[in-house]
Amino acid sequence: MNRKGLLLLLLALVLLLSCFLHIQFTEVSSTSAAQANVLWWEFRFPRLISALVAGAGLSLSGLLMQNLFRNPMAGPYVLGINSGASLTTALLMLGGFPLMLHNFGLVGSSLLGAFLAAAFMFFVSWRVQQTTGLLLVGLMFASFTGSIESVLQSWASPEQVKQFFLWNMGSLQQLSAAQVPWLLTLFTVALLWSLLLIRSLNAFVLGQDQAFQLGVRTQRVRFSMLAITALLAGSITAYCGPIAFVGLAIPNLGRQLLRTQDHFLLIIFCLLFGALFLLGCDILSVYLEPYFSLPINVLTSLIGAPYIAYLVLRRS
Amino acid sequence: MISFQNTVIGYQHPLIAIENLTLHAGKVYALLGLNGSGKSTLLKTLAAQTPLLDGALTLNHFPITQLAKDSNLRAQQIAFVSSRFDGIEHLTVVEYVALGRIPYLSVFGKVTVEDQQMVSETLKDLGLTHLAQKRTKELSDGEKQLVSLARAFVQDTPVLLLDEPSSFLDFLNRENLLLALLKWVSRGQRCVLLSSHDIDLCLEHNLPLLALAGGQIQELIGQDKKEVVSVLLKGAVH
Repeated sequence: MNRKGLLLLLLALVLLLSCFLHIQFTEVSSTSAAQANVLWWEFRFPRLISALVAGAGLSLSGLLMQNLFRNPMAGPYVLGINSGASLTTALLMLGGFPLMLHNFGLVGSSLLGAFLAAAFMFFVSWRVQQTTGLLLVGLMFASFTGSIESVLQSWASPEQVKQFFLWNMGSLQQLSAAQVPWLLTLFTVALLWSLLLIRSLNAFVLGQDQAFQLGVRTQRVRFSMLAITALLAGSITAYCGPIAFVGLAIPNLGRQLLRTQDHFLLIIFCLLFGALFLLGCDILSVYLEPYFSLPINVLTSLIGAPYIAYLVLRRS
Repeated sequence: MISFQNTVIGYQHPLIAIENLTLHAGKVYALLGLNGSGKSTLLKTLAAQTPLLDGALTLNHFPITQLAKDSNLRAQQIAFVSSRFDGIEHLTVVEYVALGRIPYLSVFGKVTVEDQQMVSETLKDLGLTHLAQKRTKELSDGEKQLVSLARAFVQDTPVLLLDEPSSFLDFLNRENLLLALLKWVSRGQRCVLLSSHDIDLCLEHNLPLLALAGGQIQELIGQDKKEVVSVLLKGAVH
């Protein structure tokens, strides 16, 4: 086995170990076995799944976006896809429909927002050929939705604002046991779909014109990539809130460590390391809880932002 | 191998009209023309990237409209080395050249042993074996051009289009490039069309010339440089 295979195997083992560690760390003392059972299924297991799926899914969607726009600084966050999900969720939470949050309203609205944002970006990418222009539009869109959310907050009741504020911080503890199968199903669909794109992703490394020349149905693949990203970013944002930097940082780290553009390896890396990264952040937040409470978004930004800054500095 | 009939080519507006022209297998054609004469548009049309405005165009008996629709067929008939390759981060020369095999791979993009063999043989033919493990970002301009050629060779298509392949090469590499192309077309039913500004090089190797001027194409064989230049300048007079 070569160096890259070994690295991925090692990563898989560390991830497995971290899962056990996470289970250990989230253990809460309980009086009876039945109570412990309830705690496991209602709280600890959904939290574990949240961390795994959010980390793996956001990294995967970041990898797709960076490939599509041929820009290592692209990601669901930068392109406004998370913002689309945030906006529709804010409309729901702050617009006076909090009751709908209990059913499929939350995930439905979030998916809808992510899809609309992705469709908007798809349309813009069709008109604006340059990647920088596209990223700028994405950032403008993010800032625009942010402003609308602020306006909505000023109208909403303190209770609604608090609920939205907590969701907006990102949390791995919001997922309920009943929602676990939904998140897992959406994630599996997105994952299988992206596995079917590996050959095209490798061709896209050369740019879309060359990919076309290599027999890739470029229009269809572009649509698939945005749809997968919307599916992942939308569902994860619905259940865990907007989580920053994971989608941007992990794929870059993957290319740097594996030194490859083979998207078969890069997808495996993003799944493993993305899951490991969020799991690690969550273990750290549990460990630090007695001293101070850190939302997951703060932790990912604390680690992710300096790394991205380092990448930008190194490139220029 | 490539045949035009009452073909009108252009990007939104008609730029070139070709009444009747056939390019034959076993030859390397050089497309000459001043800047803006439409060389790139013609190549892009042949690569099925830009649609025909009117008339008929067939490559290896396949109409271009069919090649534009059927992506697998297109990738197995036409290879296109467009303009300049800048290198891609983290991509080595072997990995880059192997991307030329994509039309023949499964959805997972796994390169087979035969594909790898083909890549290393092509690199050897072009005298590039020593670069195999080098990163594409670290290559010189000339080396980048040559590995792009290797990638196109590996795609193994009857028609190979090259947009100014010699522009970044020194005289030695220009020679090597042309010799490699001539050798390549001599094996099997293949045809190369390259655009160039290097009239001397094309004449030296006796390439059949296609002079593009004033929206017309003229096939020139056996003319000297002065005559070729005067044909090319025809388009620039008004």
